[in-house]
Amino acid sequence: MDTIILNTLIFSPLLGIVLLFLWKTKNEISIKWVGVLSTVPSLVLSIYLFFATKFGEDLSRFSISYRWFRFGRNDIEELEKFFAVNFQLNVDSLAVVMLLLTTIISTMAAFSIFKINKNLKGFVSLFLVLETGMLGVFAAGNMILFFLFFEMTLISTFFLTGKWGYEQREKAAYRFLIYNGVGSALLLFVIMTLQARFGTTDISVLTNNLSNIGLELISPISSELRYVLLGAIILAFGIKLPSFPFHSWVLKMHTQAPTPVVMLHAGILLKIGAYGLIRFGLGMFPNEFKDFAPILAFIGVLNLLFGAFVAFIQTDFRFMIAYSSVSHMGFVLMGLGALNELGLEAVIFTVISHGLISAFMFYLIGILLDRTKTTELVEIGGLSQKAPVFSGFLLFGTMALLGLPGLSGFVSEFTSFLALFESQRLLAAIGTIAGILTAVFALSATLKITYGPIRVPDSNVVIEDLNWLEKIPLTVLTGLIVIMGLLPNLVGSEVQVVIHTLINRIWG
Amino acid sequence: MMEFSWIIPLFPLLSFVLILFFGKKLKHFSAYLGIGFVGISFVLSIFTLIERFSNPTYKKEFIWIKIGESHLSAGYEVNQLNALMLFIVSLVSFLVHIYSNGYMKGDKRFPIFYGYLGLFTAAMLALVISPNLLQMYVFWELVGLGSFLLIGFYNTKESAKEAAKKAFIMTRIGDTGFLVGILLLYSKVGTFNFNEIFYAVQAGVLSPRALTVVGLLIFIGAMGKSGQFPLHTWLPDAMEGPTPVSALIHAATMVAAGVYLVATMFPLFVASKTILLIVSIIGGLTAIFAASIGLVQKDLKKILAYSTISQLGYMMLALGSAGYVAGVFHLTTHAFFKALLFLAAGSVIHAVHTQNIDEMGGLWRKMKFTAPLFLIGTLALTGIPLLSGFFSKDEILISVWNHGNPFLFIIAIVTAFMTSFYMFRVFFIVFFGDTSENSKRAHESSLWMIIPMFILGILAVVSGYINTSWFGTYLGNWILDGNEYIKGTHESASTWIMSLGVIVSGLGIYLAWEIYVRKNQKLLRFVNPEGTTYRILSNRYYMDEIYGVTVVPMTRFFSIFLSFIEIVFVKGIMKLVVYIFSLFSTIFIKIQNGQAQTYGAIAFLGLAIVIFLLVLTGGYFKWIL
Repeated sequence: MDTIILNTLIFSPLLGIVLLFLWKTKNEISIKWVGVLSTVPSLVLSIYLFFATKFGEDLSRFSISYRWFRFGRNDIEELEKFFAVNFQLNVDSLAVVMLLLTTIISTMAAFSIFKINKNLKGFVSLFLVLETGMLGVFAAGNMILFFLFFEMTLISTFFLTGKWGYEQREKAAYRFLIYNGVGSALLLFVIMTLQARFGTTDISVLTNNLSNIGLELISPISSELRYVLLGAIILAFGIKLPSFPFHSWVLKMHTQAPTPVVMLHAGILLKIGAYGLIRFGLGMFPNEFKDFAPILAFIGVLNLLFGAFVAFIQTDFRFMIAYSSVSHMGFVLMGLGALNELGLEAVIFTVISHGLISAFMFYLIGILLDRTKTTELVEIGGLSQKAPVFSGFLLFGTMALLGLPGLSGFVSEFTSFLALFESQRLLAAIGTIAGILTAVFALSATLKITYGPIRVPDSNVVIEDLNWLEKIPLTVLTGLIVIMGLLPNLVGSEVQVVIHTLINRIWG
Repeated sequence: MMEFSWIIPLFPLLSFVLILFFGKKLKHFSAYLGIGFVGISFVLSIFTLIERFSNPTYKKEFIWIKIGESHLSAGYEVNQLNALMLFIVSLVSFLVHIYSNGYMKGDKRFPIFYGYLGLFTAAMLALVISPNLLQMYVFWELVGLGSFLLIGFYNTKESAKEAAKKAFIMTRIGDTGFLVGILLLYSKVGTFNFNEIFYAVQAGVLSPRALTVVGLLIFIGAMGKSGQFPLHTWLPDAMEGPTPVSALIHAATMVAAGVYLVATMFPLFVASKTILLIVSIIGGLTAIFAASIGLVQKDLKKILAYSTISQLGYMMLALGSAGYVAGVFHLTTHAFFKALLFLAAGSVIHAVHTQNIDEMGGLWRKMKFTAPLFLIGTLALTGIPLLSGFFSKDEILISVWNHGNPFLFIIAIVTAFMTSFYMFRVFFIVFFGDTSENSKRAHESSLWMIIPMFILGILAVVSGYINTSWFGTYLGNWILDGNEYIKGTHESASTWIMSLGVIVSGLGIYLAWEIYVRKNQKLLRFVNPEGTTYRILSNRYYMDEIYGVTVVPMTRFFSIFLSFIEIVFVKGIMKLVVYIFSLFSTIFIKIQNGQAQTYGAIAFLGLAIVIFLLVLTGGYFKWIL
């Protein structure tokens, strides 16, 4: 029973595709509902897993491993295992948290499929492939499988953006592909090197072998190579995160991709960068990571300030939120650069909080675009008179974005700064300026949109408030943002064990 | 009751949540709901205060975020200052809730107004029972949210929108200083808990320099919230909010939070002479600066706003002069008489539909209750003997004389003079000036508005007697009792200081009388609107304009500079990546020209390279990996 849980969790979205192919319906509404409902089984299972973790169950009982494929010289018996790749799925508490975040945001994003109106079956199918890819990334037990799922997300995102996006969708899709292609190539280089040297890509085996400082002498790789590999990992996932100066593809994506894809992209796909940095960077090369930490902290603060300053002069709300997203990813690098338990906890809080908040904001932007056909700030104003509920949610999102205490954004921001303050006081202090800037631009934009006299691009535009269907994801995300803001320990205590192990590897 | 004091902020919060979800259905009933819930909080606060008289401080904490071995905690604490603040906040909030039922009647967004009031009250009540700096910061920001929402309550007005934005951002600048301060403090002492911090301070864990830096940063937070120079410009603009809001938030409670913060962190401030001096200088400067602006303003609410800034400066001056009791005492009395003044002003504005004092006049006969109540507030603020402001102001003057700089004492005296002048200027113009068009239609406000003013009027008179040198310093004795970190700073009475205070106040009233009632031509020259001084004052020292040409363009410039970097550097990298890809593709396109000779040559070349490398490395690509 336990062994099918992870398989079902990851692959159940694909059942939706099967259903869509078998069921020759032309009814758009039913296709959309298939999209939404196909994400539900995974959601239920990940909630189950989360509570299983909460009640202290041994997560290893969910692990599965099948012989998958072999290559190399099969005739030599002892070398056989060297070249065998298993189909392994397993989770620890960090992965469970990531899975839960993914399934929640996927289901919420699925609700925005209702705004898509061309080639629906194709969209829903690719959307579900994307979800499976993301889930697989977090549950993969070896790096080849990880890479496979990772590529699955790239390809599906590429098509989803290129086909269903806004005006500059193709440019955005290609830019996405090129940057991520470079990242993938680097990652592949790392994986192949490790496979050749260690004969395995099993993540836990590799982590044990690589991070065990005592075995340095008999390690099959040199210390220089370690730095090269870690550098490649940091670069690959840094591009994904995105960290300055590799962020420009994210802006295009966040402004051109269709709403469900932006929600998943900002909410989950970017977080694979953070997850990869923790799992492969810090996890496998703790000793070398120490040397990279000050640089990461510096780039983190740079990200934070750069994103905030540039967002400050944007005139388009979409771009503003996209830049602020770049800015907030600085917290991930800051937390990693702090090299302490609080720092890693801050990274996880940021991943969750930013996942929820960015999905929330981009969902609202999708609605705004649907109503006014523009996000240019000069063209819209006074919406609170016509759409008070929408405006209320927008104000809430803004408050979450600027780190209002009581909401999840504050927890992520505060813990990041607190963690970095232990080692890099001045740097962290400078970083807090971003908090002021975020307040300035986010609040100005939101007030521009909602307060003051009514202004719409042209008089034909009818501003309707949210309908019940649109309220569902917003309400759920609002609730989660508040819960994470008030009771961060709900997740924080879960990941303690993982964090403790990681930090112990560094400081012994 | 103290062990359940956490429940006090929950009632207004509940009222906020209920109104948020059911406001449309509740309609006018929202007011009764809000009043009821805050009323419960008020009653519970009274119980808490009474219980605290006879019991020691109660404190409880639990884990909020676990970090490895340590953790960040949350909880609540009822010490003397907290109990007193609970009482003040819930009382003023309760009265403002009642008052608003009259003042906001007929407003389209009536229910949500009560919702926002509830949210603010909840945050403010939670703020004053916070047992650690982190939690204080949390609610510190949340009261800012409440203030923001209520300033921008008239959401179709452009000016209200700008004022709300400005309030949020200006206080956020201060808050960021506060944030860095507590982060720095945590990195030094490893705790946010007040008592543990004070213990560490006493034990000398912090170097004098660190102490000064931390103190200064925390004080920046207090400056932002309490509208201290130069972060004060948001407070006069905040008068865009409905008047009951100004009374509650921008006179009695939230703006006093900065003073409360300094008072709470007093043991840390006392440990550094430098920081105390800075606090007193900023306080004194703000007091006289804002009072001088108040002399010539024409907007009734703005005059009161500048008066508030000035009085908050007074409290800071007291705290900076080691006058812990004086600061807290003035905070208490000020809460009552300034809330009274604002509510009375609201009653006037409600009647004449303008805020410009030149368009009022002759209201003494028209508003039989409001006028005398406004007079009581004015007298209390001016420091006329036997009213509350007299005792608390006297206490401040004594502290400044005993511990502060003589120069600051002069500033305090001049401010007292200015205060009485501008307050009586307002009073004479509004109630005894020539009756204007607007005043003719004026009528007295409803009982919903009169009763809260009446209660505040009583308090404005009697609240001074909790701490007098004549009948006993009950407040001072109680608040210092058992507080091991604050030394007894009680001052003995001084007749000449008391007399001096009364004399300058009297002088101010006399001058206002001569100029605005008797229209003394000789003196009128001094208030000539064409004069340079007058213009500088009525333009508020051009502070907004100065920010407009310095901070704002600088930030913009820096942003544009960074986006320039983005275009040159980041896009450059992107172009490079694209270029490399297309370079490869051109090469490979050339290779694939369809000719067998080329393919053969390349295949052969490739094979040669591979063999060469294998021979060179002994059959294994060791050096590559």
